[in-house]
Amino acid sequence: MMNDIIDRTNAKMNKGETVFEIKNLTVEFNTSDGMFKAVDNLSFVIPRGKTVGLVGESGSGKSVTSLALMRLLTRNGHITSGEIHYQGKDLVKISEEEMRSLRGSKISMIFQEPMTSLNPVLTVGDQLIESIQLHLKLNKKDAFEKALALFKQVKIPQPEVKIHSFPHELSGGQKQRVMIAMAIACDPELLICDEPTTALDVTIQQEILDLIKSLQVSLGMSVLFITHDLGVISNVADHLLVMYRSKLVEEGNAQEVFKNPKHPYTRGLLSCRPKLDANPNRLLTVSDYMSEDGTALKVDPARLVEVDRQGSRVEKIKESEDILVIRNLKTYFPIRTGFFKTVRNHFKAVDDVSFTIKKGTSFGLVGESGCGKTTLGRTILKLVEPSGGDIIFKGQHITGLTKAEMRPFRKKMQIIFQDPYSSLDPRMSVEKILSEPLEINSPEMSRSEKNHIISTLIEKVGLRKNHLKRYPHEFSGGQRQRICIARALTLNPELLICDESVSALDVSVQAQVLNLLLDLQEEFKLTYVFISHDLSVVNFMADTVAVMNEGKIVELESAKNIYQNPKHHYTQKLINAVPKITNYPVFALN
Amino acid sequence: MAVISAETENSSSKKVQITKEIGRSLWQDAWHRLAKNKLALACMIVFSFYIVVSLLVAFGILGATWSTTVGESYAAPDWNHWFGLDIFGRDVLMKALVGTQVAMSVGLVTVMISVPIGLLLGGISGYFGGVVDEIIVWFCSIISSIPSIMLLITVTFILGRGIFAIYLALGLTSWVGLCRMIRGEVLKHKNRDYVLAIDALGGSHRRKLFTHILPNVFHIVIIDASLTFQMAIKSEVILSYLGLGVQDLPSWGKMIDDSKLELARGVWWQLGAATLFMFLILLSLNFLGDLLRDALDPKLRGQE
Amino acid sequence: MNLVLYTLRRSLYIIPVLLGVCLIIFLLFNVVAGDPTPMLLGKNATVSQMAELRHQLGLDRAWYYQYFDIVKSAFTFDFGRSWQSKQQIVEIIKQGAFPSLCIALPGFMISTIMSILIALVVAFYRGKGIDVFVRFLCIALVSISSLVYILFFQYVLAYKFSLFPIAGFEPTLPDLLYYIPLPIIIWVILSLGPDVRFFRTIILDEIYQDYVRTAKAKGLKEIDVLIKHVLRNALIPILTYVVIQIPFLVLGTVLLETFFAIPGLGNTVLNAVNNSDFPVLKAFTVLSSVAYIGFNLLTDVLYALVDPRVKFD
Repeated sequence: MMNDIIDRTNAKMNKGETVFEIKNLTVEFNTSDGMFKAVDNLSFVIPRGKTVGLVGESGSGKSVTSLALMRLLTRNGHITSGEIHYQGKDLVKISEEEMRSLRGSKISMIFQEPMTSLNPVLTVGDQLIESIQLHLKLNKKDAFEKALALFKQVKIPQPEVKIHSFPHELSGGQKQRVMIAMAIACDPELLICDEPTTALDVTIQQEILDLIKSLQVSLGMSVLFITHDLGVISNVADHLLVMYRSKLVEEGNAQEVFKNPKHPYTRGLLSCRPKLDANPNRLLTVSDYMSEDGTALKVDPARLVEVDRQGSRVEKIKESEDILVIRNLKTYFPIRTGFFKTVRNHFKAVDDVSFTIKKGTSFGLVGESGCGKTTLGRTILKLVEPSGGDIIFKGQHITGLTKAEMRPFRKKMQIIFQDPYSSLDPRMSVEKILSEPLEINSPEMSRSEKNHIISTLIEKVGLRKNHLKRYPHEFSGGQRQRICIARALTLNPELLICDESVSALDVSVQAQVLNLLLDLQEEFKLTYVFISHDLSVVNFMADTVAVMNEGKIVELESAKNIYQNPKHHYTQKLINAVPKITNYPVFALN
Repeated sequence: MAVISAETENSSSKKVQITKEIGRSLWQDAWHRLAKNKLALACMIVFSFYIVVSLLVAFGILGATWSTTVGESYAAPDWNHWFGLDIFGRDVLMKALVGTQVAMSVGLVTVMISVPIGLLLGGISGYFGGVVDEIIVWFCSIISSIPSIMLLITVTFILGRGIFAIYLALGLTSWVGLCRMIRGEVLKHKNRDYVLAIDALGGSHRRKLFTHILPNVFHIVIIDASLTFQMAIKSEVILSYLGLGVQDLPSWGKMIDDSKLELARGVWWQLGAATLFMFLILLSLNFLGDLLRDALDPKLRGQE
Repeated sequence: MNLVLYTLRRSLYIIPVLLGVCLIIFLLFNVVAGDPTPMLLGKNATVSQMAELRHQLGLDRAWYYQYFDIVKSAFTFDFGRSWQSKQQIVEIIKQGAFPSLCIALPGFMISTIMSILIALVVAFYRGKGIDVFVRFLCIALVSISSLVYILFFQYVLAYKFSLFPIAGFEPTLPDLLYYIPLPIIIWVILSLGPDVRFFRTIILDEIYQDYVRTAKAKGLKEIDVLIKHVLRNALIPILTYVVIQIPFLVLGTVLLETFFAIPGLGNTVLNAVNNSDFPVLKAFTVLSSVAYIGFNLLTDVLYALVDPRVKFD
């Protein structure tokens, strides 16, 4: 397989018009536990004027590769072997001074978090002008004019005003445009984009991707686009590289790789993403295609057939009773302004929302950041006090209950949060974390009973009994989420709110956790409120979907109808903005 | 079994953590790292040594004879008396050893007074907010706007001289820094998901504050205790100079104060002894504080 | 809301703090300390003499009058007269301010600038030998009592090698320049340890931020990144730290003044302690508290000016 790749690389080089050639790149880090290889023997080319997509999950080494190309590794990282050929030079060997003259002028980079990537105390205009003056040696006036022109080129609204603004006065999308402006200021030959849209809303993402594409064409530059999102990659990349655990596992023309992936990891990665136009029983995961050490597995053909779940679930919905009724729910937060910090206005996080959820079903709540979906989830559980309206759980009004009166209800309604890194107490062992709910709610329960419940649960969520004695920091993100799920299940709840519970996970891990949630729902007869900004995931999980925008529900429909036939313009906008993989692969059985 | 939690990707400053053993809590992990560090070990040995000496002096086993005249006034150091003799012919080394006990007790008692106050007030202030918070913050502002020297002088002046006055004065003036830091940390943790989860489980305020939040801010207490300890020892020196220090036992401060008259005669040994003894313990505590902070930090950083 | 209103609102917070400080001072001096007349009159004072003195000093008025006096003095700076010298305390303060400032101000400025520069250098070479060495040095410097530094340097530089005068003070140039260097040098050495450590931490915190990576990706030299980006951000907390020290400059010279016989405010305070001169002690406490509160406000306002992220409401 590796020889295949090398041969193809050589072939491309011989065709000419290769801007960069990376040969056998290896990057290692000094850690307190020894040397760690982040990138292992990586070889690829970047052709002129084309976009190379670099896909991988966390730990794959893709970001480290981009930093290595710019020679921006942190002090404990080293390029231990390999060559990076550009314009006849080996970037690994040239002096720091030479490299500096290339950075920001011939090779530029934009990063993932626009929020923190700009200096907060300088205006964005000044930061752009700094780039310009550094490499183009223009005087102040000319540099300013060029900066203004660049702002217009990256389509920042009101460029004359914004050029004097500070980063915190700009939105995420606008900040990213500024980063792009800084990166293209000197007509680079290569633009490296490290997950540039991951932190942005899906509608903004679309705009930024279009911008990068159009700039690539107009400036004739090459782009190295790094992401974990296959949908995005399928729309932007000409050539595709897939990395897994520091190694390159697949490489080729993007369309071909999508149509005919060879490596089991690529196949797994392509299959595990839920799609908007299908609704399978379960998601296939990477571990269905590949074992831990990288050997391909035989996939059961029956599993490749997609069974449409929607039909049977619609039946179920008709039969079951209401478990949660929300009527005119409002959650307002006071805004204090003025000299005396009086409350003049309210921020309407949840603004008159009504819906009904049937027992045993999944209710999807989808929207972009700031729409109020998280606040709604927390209000239902009364973690945030509602400002008005009714919450009726199994026929009982819980809106006005005091904390003490809510106690018995808490057992029946639980929540799984988004961030696996802050939802577990770092100082408690898993065993303690899981037994705590029982300690609070069933103090009379004996030790052995508790242990029995905990051991059963930990295995149900896919972990092992000997994990009980470990601590959160010893687990990965996906494993931590499983612990959170187990914790939520200790009290035998009927309603479970999943607040962006898989959003922080890698795609392959996400698929596993989603499958787990489906299995658990089946076994424990749970009702889910599934909150996410990711439409594909909501489509997979939910029976009914509510689309939220600015505190209101703009459309409420069964999942099938909402994706095939969206009525509200906001819903349409959202669906259109989701990057879709055209050309779905047909897998040859291994 | 190795578990890799790889976060090298998006922030180049975070390192990859590979833990080899199972079931190690953050404290155990920090301790393990510290124990591997030779400097930390050396400092811990020094610290233990000082504690042992203090205990021996407290029980009269060591240094009980410090006040007896054993030779000529201002005798120079020799093999019998490593730091020579003072103006009354007393063994300077003995005095320094007794001074060790005085210093350690001043440091310890100051910490024991100021830490609970700072922890409690900071915890309540940060957790409950509202009026209680405003009052405590107001109180902190008042204490910190009076310069500590003035407060120390005033309090010792009013309470009379002697060691209890010093304990009280130092303890009552050193808690503000800890209070503010604890308050800040509690505010941060109060809104974290793992605390919100307790609400969802039906847990009480007590559980949230004592079982979850406080253990997660405790590392600050340790680091602050080390700094307060040092500051107490150094303040005792100033107080002795001002005549407000420990009266009946030799303290390092008294020794340094006495030496101001001795230097002109070329007698440096009392100054040398006190400075050396103080230097070693303060240095060790300082290093330990820094190293402990480093040992606890990387893991804590991962929580951010 | 603009700066003026912001400042006004912050100023309102000062009042309860000021009242609280006066309350503490009142409690300490007028309540807990008890009756000072026996101390002032000596052993043979009769009851009527003590009562007479108490009346003279105004100690027999109702508690709220005495408390209010303290509060008033915070605004009018009229602290009455010293019990010992019968001088107007305001005059005493004015006289003593100049000598203290002659040492404190230059010492403060020199040490701050030096510390920032050293911290920058050390941050540039972080992890390397010079960084380790400077860190060790700072910790070592901090582990020695200030008294020891004064004794040591006075002995070695002034007594032994006669490079500087041992003690004394002249308020006029050029003699002034003969007397103040040694105290200033000692001040600088005392401040370097803690300051460099603190500034280093602040600067390093900034260095690991994402925007530094962006700056490097633009092709800036390491040194330019440090000065144009990191320092600019680090100066905000550094400024806060530095400004807050100003009100305590004057009292920080207490030890130096006694050893070098400088007739500054530090000496004044010590004399007051030795003579149980309550009004002087009260005055100093009130004054330094007012200064601290005032500079705190100044810091808030400066912060709002310097950090564009701070909103004025």
